[in-house]
Amino acid sequence: MADETAAPAAPPQDSIRETMAYAIGVAGWLVPGLGHAFMKMWGRAVMCFLTVGMLVILGAGMRGNVFSSGGDDAFDSLGYLADLGTGTFYLVARSLEANGADVSHADGDYGTRFLATAGVLNLLAALHAYEAARGRKA
Amino acid sequence: MNAGIGFKLSHLQSMLLFALLISIAFGFLSRRRPIERVKYIAWSLFLFLLIGVGIGWAMYPFSR
Repeated sequence: MADETAAPAAPPQDSIRETMAYAIGVAGWLVPGLGHAFMKMWGRAVMCFLTVGMLVILGAGMRGNVFSSGGDDAFDSLGYLADLGTGTFYLVARSLEANGADVSHADGDYGTRFLATAGVLNLLAALHAYEAARGRKA
Repeated sequence: MNAGIGFKLSHLQSMLLFALLISIAFGFLSRRRPIERVKYIAWSLFLFLLIGVGIGWAMYPFSR
């Protein structure tokens, strides 16, 4: 007699869809908007790219703090995680900030927030793309 | 050599830009139809600015 308590095996199509959803989520994290572009959601793709890009450019231009992996405390580590949320734009922010951060003025402090927000916003967009790829209403 | 870029923005300009960009992103992510997006962006932007200015005034007595 078959064991009725065992969960039924997922159909192959579901497993492929789940893998594709993961790939779309990762793509959306690496390049803002790419996950939505893969699903032909062009408006969302362009807006994700532009808004995250603008926040990164403004944040770096205002000499906000682009955190690195060797943080001294929990806030530095959390800031690094938030900045990493921008994916490849993290490298753009580092390259734009040739003169380093300057948080002795309000500009630099705002810039730090802009950069962290860009990362968190991009993570939200990547999660949205992942959920949409799984077939959830988006 | 990359000389970098630089922006000098006032507090109000920073808040306006921040609120506008986040509102646009939220509007596009959370709504599908263009008219609904515009309404959401306008409402979100209004609340960002209202709450931002409100908190600014609420902190005013403690600034001196």
